[in-house]
Amino acid sequence: MSTAVTALTASGRLRIVVALARRGLNEVLRVPGASIPGVLAPTIFLLGISSVFGAAAKLPGFTADDFKTFVVPVGMLQGAAFAGAATGVNLARDIERGWFDRLLLVPAPRLTLLAGLVSSGALRSLLPSVVVFAAGLALGVHFPGVLGTLLAFLLVMGLSTCLACYATTLALHFRTQQAAPLMQMGGFIAVLFTPAYAPADLLAGWMHAIAVVNPVTYVLQGVRQGFVGPVTWSGTWPALAAIAAMLVVLAALAARGMRQTGR
Amino acid sequence: MAAIETERLSRRFKGGLTAVDAIDLSVEAGEVYGFLGPNGAGKTTTVRMLVTLLRPTGGRAMVAGHDVARDPDAVRRRIGVALQEAALDGLMTGRELVELQATLHGIAPSAVRTRGQDLLERVGLVEAQDRRVATYSGGMKRRLDLALALIHEPAVLFLDEPTTGLDPVSRMTLWEEVRRLKDRGTTVFLTTQYLEEADRLADRLGIISQGRIVAEGTPAALKAEIGHPHLELAFAGDAPDLDAAATVMAAFGPPEVLRELEKVRVPLPDGAASIAAVVRALDEKGLGVAALELVEPTLDDVFAAKTGRHLEGA
Amino acid sequence: MIRASLALARRALRNTARRPQFAAPLLVMPTLFLAANVGGLTRSTALPGFPPVNSFLNFQLAGSMTQALLLGGVSSGIAVALEIEDGFFDRLVISPIPRVAIVLGRLAATAVLAFTQVLYFLLIGTIFGGGPEGGVIGFAAIVAIGVIAGIAFGAIGVTIALRARTVSTVQGIFPLVLVVLFVSSAFFPRGLLEVPARQIAAFNPLSYIADGLRNPIVGSVSAGPVLEGLAAAVGLAAAAIALAVWSLRVRLRAV
Repeated sequence: MSTAVTALTASGRLRIVVALARRGLNEVLRVPGASIPGVLAPTIFLLGISSVFGAAAKLPGFTADDFKTFVVPVGMLQGAAFAGAATGVNLARDIERGWFDRLLLVPAPRLTLLAGLVSSGALRSLLPSVVVFAAGLALGVHFPGVLGTLLAFLLVMGLSTCLACYATTLALHFRTQQAAPLMQMGGFIAVLFTPAYAPADLLAGWMHAIAVVNPVTYVLQGVRQGFVGPVTWSGTWPALAAIAAMLVVLAALAARGMRQTGR
Repeated sequence: MAAIETERLSRRFKGGLTAVDAIDLSVEAGEVYGFLGPNGAGKTTTVRMLVTLLRPTGGRAMVAGHDVARDPDAVRRRIGVALQEAALDGLMTGRELVELQATLHGIAPSAVRTRGQDLLERVGLVEAQDRRVATYSGGMKRRLDLALALIHEPAVLFLDEPTTGLDPVSRMTLWEEVRRLKDRGTTVFLTTQYLEEADRLADRLGIISQGRIVAEGTPAALKAEIGHPHLELAFAGDAPDLDAAATVMAAFGPPEVLRELEKVRVPLPDGAASIAAVVRALDEKGLGVAALELVEPTLDDVFAAKTGRHLEGA
Repeated sequence: MIRASLALARRALRNTARRPQFAAPLLVMPTLFLAANVGGLTRSTALPGFPPVNSFLNFQLAGSMTQALLLGGVSSGIAVALEIEDGFFDRLVISPIPRVAIVLGRLAATAVLAFTQVLYFLLIGTIFGGGPEGGVIGFAAIVAIGVIAGIAFGAIGVTIALRARTVSTVQGIFPLVLVVLFVSSAFFPRGLLEVPARQIAAFNPLSYIADGLRNPIVGSVSAGPVLEGLAAAVGLAAAAIALAVWSLRVRLRAV
């Protein structure tokens, strides 16, 4: 009498991921004003930072033409961080409201469900990063080339996915939207404790030490290609490797969180 | 084969609270099983374990032929769950939600549309299907929730307080749908705080109190366990001889004279079947019966006797 | 009136202390921003035109204080909006206390919070940056400007809460607060700001408040910037308190 008792095929899993990602985007597309803070924050950050610290580009050893060119990639990654955090905040709300139970009742691997949850974060990061990118161009930052642009948005989506995994882990643990500041702070720190404001050689000693071990440093340097210097393979692979490494660790943590719900 | 079978199923929470304490349940395939209990009795915890949302800390549970802890996905493929708060996404339309649910349950893309339409039609939401769920009434939300639970034609359906807070008309509609599902052979596990609902829908009932099953059986058997139906009689005339009537009625059971009400009451184990005999016996002695009432014990009596509490909303 | 205000202030502070998860960002966010700015731009002090300071941290400290005080103001506004949403505000209105005490009590609590924030950043400065150099008079000046500015920001937050009445609206002004802060000399010397910001900063009271707080930290106290800072804080506070009390009147009349 049951029609759907067979196990899922690979394409069935992919359809689940796509369907969940689409639902995640409703938050941006259907709630008027909901995306404004996530877009406004990195844009204000970019405009504010470049008008306040603009003179820093005159320091000897500063590699970019001007400060705003140097920080546009930082603003884009801030947007990615906010979008990733928003994925976790929305999950926490879904947990509070009981929707998440419905999702857990789906007979699909928990990893498939997780992929659906975090991939909406990746798509969502495009909105703030495109706005920041456009604001940068409007301020007179030069176009980083087609390859540089594509690479920048690919890395933005990658970082957002990683931070969505991080925020998801927190959401599954705390099960309340009150954990939102914790989710947002993680990405904020990760993006700023890098050569965000100045080339690595100009950083304070302790900041330099943190930046070297912070994987987001390599992502940022990857995004910066085209804005500062040409796009090269030697600048690209560390960024991709950093995303991959973060994704493995953070997705594993999130997957563990998924498996442990209900224990 | 039993559709739901538990063996010393237990759940102990961190901090030591034992919400469910070694319960044994057996629900036959095709049965509507009513699960009653006061708030905090372990009702929801039991349901959450049976539907794989919470892992048991002791014992085991087989649902639709699979172990909830060892093979949760197999269980999930065979059960439908309508959740207590009807947790729906208000930003989506009814149709989008049904089609999302179909996709999540691995229904082929070619079948998603038709399956969704069938179900929306069944729960009477075709007209409202393109409106956002946030605009739905409480009754519409429950019906949509039911449609979502049925998307993959589950063998076992769990309904957690499906009519709490609903108006009488919506409640009736939902009851009809449950009966239709039973006719199709679906097993229904129903928790409710409405005794009338349990009485009308359930083939069998289980009552849980403080994490343990304190009573189980058909509604009639449970009521019989508490007490038999009573026949209450009032007599013709201004000053009927209640004592004479009681003497006659003693042949059927120990009579009780209710002087203020000018009635006599007698237990009637066979129920309505022996009313005629009582009336005839009284008639032979010239005692004319003016009014009679067969008083059945209610589920509330059962509930109160078993748990020491009355259900709200009963 | 004073007794009622103090009682309400005590209640407000108790609530803050009981929910540290809401109060922590008031210090944590500016601290992280401070760390990022100092770590990234510590060499900026070498820029031509940068005033003589012993470290970029000491320079940034006043900006972080101002930022923290602004956040404190937003959180005071949120607290009042919460009280309006959950009905506590109406209970206060019908109770036999002077109504002005509702505003004054909240501002007294904000003042205590501001004092804590100022002390916290001075402590950070002492540990990592060699500490404020202005001596006892300098310390007194910093505390005075900080607390009065904190009250001013709190009064602005309360005004917005009394007008908007919802928590989400008050939260929505937060980005705006950052914009106003960015077009001031809080984080960088005014002469080194980029073009539109430099002109706006000259008219921004936050510039004078931050510069007033900064003067005793980076050197010995000089009367000019400190008095300017004090004047900016007092002026802003007077105007904002008047606005808050007036908004309370308007709101009570509407009930």
